Amino acid sequence: MNVVFAVKQYVSKMIEDSGPGMKVLLMDKETTGIVSMVYTQSEILQKEVYLFERIDSQNREIMKHLKAICFLRPTKENVDYLIQELRRPKYSIYFIYFSNVISKSDVKSLAEADEQEVVAEVQEFYGDYIAVNPHLFSLNILGCCQGRNWDPAQLSRTTQGLTALLLSLKKCPMIRYQLSSESAKRLAECVKQVITKEYELFEFRRTEVPPLLLILDRCDDAITPLLNQWTYQAMVHELLGINNNRIDLSRVPGISKDLREVVLSAENDEFYANNMYLNFAEIGSNIKNLMEDFQKKKPKEQQKLESIADMKAFVENYPQFKKMSGTVSKHVTVVGELSRLVSERNLLEVSEVEQELACQNDHSSALQNVKRLLQNPKVTEFDAARLVMLYALHYERHSSNSLPGLMMDLRNKGVSEKYRKLVSAIVEYGGKRVRGSDLFSPKDAVAITKQFLKGLKGVENVYTQHQPFLHETLDHLIKGKLKENLYPYLGPNTLRDRPQDIVVFIIGGATYEEALTVYNLNRTTPGVRIVLGGTTVHNTKRGLRMETIRPHLRRRSAGSGNSAGKGFSGRFGKTAMWC
Amino acid sequence: MTEQNRGHRAMSLSAMEGLTLTCGNRRNLLTAFDRTNTESAKIRAIEKSVVPWVNDQDVPFCPDCGNKFSIRNRRHHCRLCGSIMCKKCMELISLPFANKLTSASKDSLSTHTSPSQSPNSVHGSRRGSISSVSSVSSVLDEKDDDRIRCCTHCKDTLLKREQQIDEKEHTPDIVKLYEKLRLCMEKVDQKAPEYIRMAASLNAGETTYSLEHAGDLRIEVQKVYELIDALSKKILTLGLNQDPPPHPNTLRLQRMIRYSATLFVQEKLLGLMSLPTREQFEELKKKRKQEMERKRILERQAALESQRRLKERRSDLAPRTANGEVASLRGGPAPLRKAEGWLPLSGGQGQSEDSDPLLQQIHNITSFIRQARAAGRADEVRTLQENLRQLQDEYDQQQTEKAIELSRRQAEEEDLQREQLQMLREREWEREREQFQATSLHTRTRSLDFREIRPFQLEPGREPRTHLAYALDLGSSPVQSSAAQKTPSPVSALEPVRVWSGPPALGQEPLPQSTVSQQSELASLNPFEEEDPSSPTADGTTSPPAAEPASGPSACVLKEYNPFEEEEEEAVAGNPFTNPDSPAPNPFDEEDEYPCPRPSSPPVPGNPFEEATCTNPFEMDSDSGPEGEEPIEEELLLQQIDNIKAYIFDAKQCGRLDEVELLTENLRELKRTLAKQKGGTD
Repeated sequence: MNVVFAVKQYVSKMIEDSGPGMKVLLMDKETTGIVSMVYTQSEILQKEVYLFERIDSQNREIMKHLKAICFLRPTKENVDYLIQELRRPKYSIYFIYFSNVISKSDVKSLAEADEQEVVAEVQEFYGDYIAVNPHLFSLNILGCCQGRNWDPAQLSRTTQGLTALLLSLKKCPMIRYQLSSESAKRLAECVKQVITKEYELFEFRRTEVPPLLLILDRCDDAITPLLNQWTYQAMVHELLGINNNRIDLSRVPGISKDLREVVLSAENDEFYANNMYLNFAEIGSNIKNLMEDFQKKKPKEQQKLESIADMKAFVENYPQFKKMSGTVSKHVTVVGELSRLVSERNLLEVSEVEQELACQNDHSSALQNVKRLLQNPKVTEFDAARLVMLYALHYERHSSNSLPGLMMDLRNKGVSEKYRKLVSAIVEYGGKRVRGSDLFSPKDAVAITKQFLKGLKGVENVYTQHQPFLHETLDHLIKGKLKENLYPYLGPNTLRDRPQDIVVFIIGGATYEEALTVYNLNRTTPGVRIVLGGTTVHNTKRGLRMETIRPHLRRRSAGSGNSAGKGFSGRFGKTAMWC
Repeated sequence: MTEQNRGHRAMSLSAMEGLTLTCGNRRNLLTAFDRTNTESAKIRAIEKSVVPWVNDQDVPFCPDCGNKFSIRNRRHHCRLCGSIMCKKCMELISLPFANKLTSASKDSLSTHTSPSQSPNSVHGSRRGSISSVSSVSSVLDEKDDDRIRCCTHCKDTLLKREQQIDEKEHTPDIVKLYEKLRLCMEKVDQKAPEYIRMAASLNAGETTYSLEHAGDLRIEVQKVYELIDALSKKILTLGLNQDPPPHPNTLRLQRMIRYSATLFVQEKLLGLMSLPTREQFEELKKKRKQEMERKRILERQAALESQRRLKERRSDLAPRTANGEVASLRGGPAPLRKAEGWLPLSGGQGQSEDSDPLLQQIHNITSFIRQARAAGRADEVRTLQENLRQLQDEYDQQQTEKAIELSRRQAEEEDLQREQLQMLREREWEREREQFQATSLHTRTRSLDFREIRPFQLEPGREPRTHLAYALDLGSSPVQSSAAQKTPSPVSALEPVRVWSGPPALGQEPLPQSTVSQQSELASLNPFEEEDPSSPTADGTTSPPAAEPASGPSACVLKEYNPFEEEEEEAVAGNPFTNPDSPAPNPFDEEDEYPCPRPSSPPVPGNPFEEATCTNPFEMDSDSGPEGEEPIEEELLLQQIDNIKAYIFDAKQCGRLDEVELLTENLRELKRTLAKQKGGTD
């Protein structure tokens, strides 16, 4: 149940199968992302893959001394490109791998194009998703739905991605879905259909407890993506944006040239791997330690290399030093930028109110705080709109709802219309009418007691009070208490035991906060392995960008959201969906 | 996959194989002038057995050009697929061509004409070669004895196939080079672990492997690295001078190969540890035997020393009274002892290049050039040298700038100190001179002292150290080493006294001044201690024990600290006592502060502050340059510079600018030192 490992193994296998010799990796746009998430360039160079080409690039030279490894999605265009390629082969021999199930007719047309017998192998390697973390995957689909219904193309892409994931993890699951969402049901049916159709592929060794696929819809919890996050990975994604492990720092003031774009990959960066789930304060102290450690290894400024012994030590440690200096400068830059943004945007205060809005039920104090922050000039229009959105979602039906007043405040603050429209859009998207479950008020006696106790104890950290709704869902699921009337099984069979291997898929995108929840659940619940996926991973900015590009679509697509790349970590992920 | 197509192709190929056979037969028959009708009927039967022929009646028109078949326009069967075409749409394949395709072997190629021949030229050549054979029969179309009749479609397929075969036969330069490169890498993968195992074992003083063998292996591995580097460079520059420049992708490929080769070398070469020299190895062996024993003894000594120290402190009084005499007495034996202690070190200088792992690395890198030259690869040598030269020029410049700045700073510092020191210096000048001249290289430091005390002060530090080091290095008996250990303590106990009493003896200096000088001296103790671990390298370029990366030596280095630590403590303790006016100077702080006075007297060879603060062997060397240069150190510096340059080059290539900066700074430092040294010798 490690998606990064699964994809990485596929890629390694491909490269190994082609034997020794210089190789070129032919990919399409999507598979480029898939491969780059699990392999670094220098890693893949060591395996004699020296060139990386897009199958659709026209400017490729004939290089008969290279072997071609083609890793492509089995789309119509790719098959066409491949047919052209095989008619006039540019490389000596072709090893073709499709990232998903390919139709027999496509194989046949490829065979016909292979007049020169350059194809050595055609295989299906089910690495058809972006492996973000070992337990988190994404499909990088933005705007998967139109209104409340699926965009047919995206539905099929999502189905492919999900089935590829199941195949690569060797799971043939039972499926549960969120009843309140039509999209979830459709997707569940589609997946089931593929499993039935390709039953041969899905014949894995039976486990005692069958794995479970749970399909959820983002609209059931529109709150989570709207909150500011304080763990490293989530913050980076929210404030800077992670796209296929890459972070664009070019807008950071005074950034040096080689730090314009940095790669944060837990696979190759120990510091990141150790700190991605820690909160901002902890990161700060860890960065300090890292710096100190580095300073120790670094030849001291004032004493430089004073003796030959120093120098010897320096030269011997040099490779390590180089590596370290790269890591240090990268993380120092990133964390520095994060803290700059936090103070510039007054995020601590904003986050506190956000958390209050999300977790507490004190309407008057919440309203007061929101109003206060709206007056604060440091709060960006984006954050202001987000606060109002949270308020609107929480107190949608509150008797003394003063949303119109807040909207007025927004306008007075000079928040542009596109942001203001998001407020109504989000209510439409994730409002009470849509939600299958109650996000805000505790449902049963146990939960009420829990909340009461929590209130007594006080909150340990005001910035991390919020637990994503997913946590409760998964908790119930693991304990076998998830209600069947809300999350029915697809098909007649039901799971009698507690589930062990769980794949959760959120239509409309997952967030890094939820990834953290899953990570913690995996750690603390022995015997349970959970993989989280989404049509994307949310972050506010990307949603925002989406929105600015297609504001006219807002109305129409107000149904289910999804966001781009990996990035909608937070708040606007949802908005993006509607836009 | 391509079942259909493949089936088709397989058929036509097997058909051709059959036909080549029959044709061969036929040729035999022909040459035997024994061709009868029955034979040709037989041949036809064979041909038909290979591929079923399409029935004549089924094809009224030529499928390709659409002309109607008649008596004039006759039907022709393709021997490969059995279909019918008119004569215009038929092609002929020569036997050699067919042979080439079916066997795809080299000998068939050699008999065949060049691969790039067009179908027409194939015809031509066939005619030429075969006409003699077929002279019997008319060269009319029907008598295509040595040709195989086939349709244009089949011929197209065959031509493509031929092209493929040719491509397979032809290996571009890059592939040849690349294959060599891979071979080298494999060799490294094989040999390097073996070598590392050997080196580790040898450095630990084990005798499992022989030193010569390991040395040979090392050279072998280094040669392979060199080869990898050269090959990848060659790949990088492949075709750069061609008129139509290579496709950008080709260049990208070449760059990537070079990059991965660089990564490879970087990763593996730097992991290659050095071997001990023969002498070192002997020492290591001995050391290993005694290590356990020694450790025990040293531990015991440490315990004893703490007790002793207490006693000595109490007995301070006695030596203090005898101060002057003791000092002068000490002056005599010290150089001797030192010489004793340092001889092995300076003896090691000769092998310094090899004995220091760092230097070995440097040596490797620079020796690439040498080796390349020896191997007569002039072009490589040129490129290597050019790179070096370019870097050198660049950094020479930077270095001068830095040097200027530094001298300015030094001048400022100098002013601060000058007044205080002026009187002292004048008085001490001549005495120091004498001392310096009398002493050897290693006593140079001492000779620079402006007070008599100075030599003694340093001496106690050195003395025990050398004794101990000597004992440790050469594995002398534990008794000896313990004896050596004893010596430092009493001496060190004397120090504070001497320090204090020195200046008054020389002249009535005002108290503040003496405090200053005293502090500087105290500080000098510390630097000296610090210097100690590095001093073997600095003074003797490479003293075997310190230069060895093995864990064994490090233990003794640690132990060597002991006497000094003690000394230091004494000094601290003694200070307030001996000089109540001084504000209990902290030697540690002073150490940091006192680098300032150092540069104060570059022109004065005998400046005490020079030594007092010379924690840095390089600085010391440079400052005391006039006193006597050690050529080896200069060489060492040069090598070091080379090495750093290599790193800079690498970092630059990879675009890690920050590293380049850091490295450059280091380089500048080195260069400055070097320049000073040179200036000194001049």
